[in-house]
Amino acid sequence: MPEPLTVEREPRSVRVHLHGDLALATARDVYARLQPIARRRGVRKVVVDFARAGRIDSSGVAVIGLVRSWCARHDKQLELASLDDRQRAALEMLPPPAAVVRRTLEEQVVEPVTALEVVGERVAGVASAAAALVALVAATLRQGVLVATRRRRLPAGSVGSQIVAMGFDGMFIVTLLAFLLGVTMGFQGVTQLQRLGAGVFVADMIGLSMVRELGPLIVAIILAGRTGAAIAAELGTMRVRSEIDALATMGIDPHRFLILPRLLAITVVGPGLTLIATFVGVFGGTLVASIALDMPMAAFWERIHERLAAGDFAHGLAKSLVFAWIIAIAGSHLGMRAEGDPTSVGQATTRAVVTSIFGIILFDAAFAVWGPG
Amino acid sequence: MTAPLLACRDLVCGYGRPVLEGVTFDVGPGEIVALLGGSGCGKSTLLRTITGLLPPLAGEVRVLGAPIYDLDAEARGQVLRRTGTAFQQDALFGSMTVADNIALPLRELTDLPEPVIREMVRMKLALVGLTGFERRAPASLSGGQRKRAALARATILDPDLVFCDEPSAGLDPVVAASIDAALLQLRAVLGMGLVIVTHELESIRAIADRAVMFGRGTLCAAGTIDELIASRDRDVYTFFHPRSA
Repeated sequence: MPEPLTVEREPRSVRVHLHGDLALATARDVYARLQPIARRRGVRKVVVDFARAGRIDSSGVAVIGLVRSWCARHDKQLELASLDDRQRAALEMLPPPAAVVRRTLEEQVVEPVTALEVVGERVAGVASAAAALVALVAATLRQGVLVATRRRRLPAGSVGSQIVAMGFDGMFIVTLLAFLLGVTMGFQGVTQLQRLGAGVFVADMIGLSMVRELGPLIVAIILAGRTGAAIAAELGTMRVRSEIDALATMGIDPHRFLILPRLLAITVVGPGLTLIATFVGVFGGTLVASIALDMPMAAFWERIHERLAAGDFAHGLAKSLVFAWIIAIAGSHLGMRAEGDPTSVGQATTRAVVTSIFGIILFDAAFAVWGPG
Repeated sequence: MTAPLLACRDLVCGYGRPVLEGVTFDVGPGEIVALLGGSGCGKSTLLRTITGLLPPLAGEVRVLGAPIYDLDAEARGQVLRRTGTAFQQDALFGSMTVADNIALPLRELTDLPEPVIREMVRMKLALVGLTGFERRAPASLSGGQRKRAALARATILDPDLVFCDEPSAGLDPVVAASIDAALLQLRAVLGMGLVIVTHELESIRAIADRAVMFGRGTLCAAGTIDELIASRDRDVYTFFHPRSA
């Protein structure tokens, strides 16, 4: 490939002769060689001679623009010599150097520059999100009161259709996973407890852990992945497509129309699926234990019945109810905060799942430590 | 005679069933040609075919002299890199800043150093009147600004031929005029040919050198804008004089 440029040194100045096209194929090379020439200390003037140059495209113009900026910053003179009309026209694309562009107020972007500003912006963001969350919960509760006192109505069939979507459609996966969890727990329990001659206590272990802990938790995690994500995606899409604004302009409160039905549905579905998951999980565990220990299943069920109190069920169901609300509120809140373009819907969906699971585990831990025994 | 940038010969395009048939027209270097027609006449289907997205059912499409659908994917990609497309929905990537959107073809397809890429982006943004918008997210731009950013991206590689789908649809007359001005400026500076799908009469009059009109499933008229405006063909007359038809 021929040399894209040759350099002629003169006292305190440099004349650069460009050869051939200054285009995408050569711009990198020309830039790499022009940069040190323009930076050279003794040089006060750079002449770029286009007499032997051909076509200049945007990349070539950009290279010349960078050399011009560099020379301007270091008080060096730049001369563009022997330009033909086409080259001159191409170089007219060059905007003024970045430093001298005066932005209008609308164009100015206020961006945090120091670490303190970044932290401040984050804190302000969290505070604004928290305020929006509280406002959403308050508005939804207010609409709930209006519906309960018959001053407003829910959209016809909305709660039922949500229960079907959240509950019935998710029943198979919940049942299967709960059964497999019970089987795994039963098998592990029998294997470990048999060594100590305490195989029969596997019933206590399965019963208590499924009812108080694992039943609510497994259902909550499945609901967070299925329902929480769906709520955030549905509401986020509606938000991006201005459907929620359309509701507001029609005088229809989106909290009553969209969020309340989902909250009521998950209030039924969460504890309902937890009951099913608990029963199926205990069944799976006792099935494995009865086979491994060669004992009738009825004996296990009888023992579980003796060991479990109504309070254990209340404990599990109360937790499942709170888990369900965490999922619905996180999904609704993050879905309603999506804005701009479809990317924000994906972000809202991911955040809804992560936030729900985080909230669930945090609450579970707090409940285990400070909750009723 | 200069070879056309785009040549369509007896083109039949559609999705399984023909939407447009018997389409033959050329676009020359530096020429702005408008593809006209009512909603649903097949303009956008034709645009997908000539931009390499939808193989024709019959006929030939030559882009920059190459029969793009007879080439393998690599060779077709090489040809299409010398064209640019600005989509109706702008198709800016929401996860990137305006500058990153515009720089994407440069970063993916060239080995230019980053300062040169940034300078080129600044230059193209200035050309479309978006100086200082580099760090903005597409979501924070107005409809007209997004269209102009999409135009900057479509022209970042100095293409020989640019396709624009409804560049000024849904914009107010002032913003629409600014888009037209940006297109004319880009043509003047870069010397590229432009194929514009539109039904904005003001825009057509302001920028198009020629127009090709579609109706009843085929190409129904072609010529300069003045010729089409004077035409007595029923479809053409109705399109240009909608209130007196």
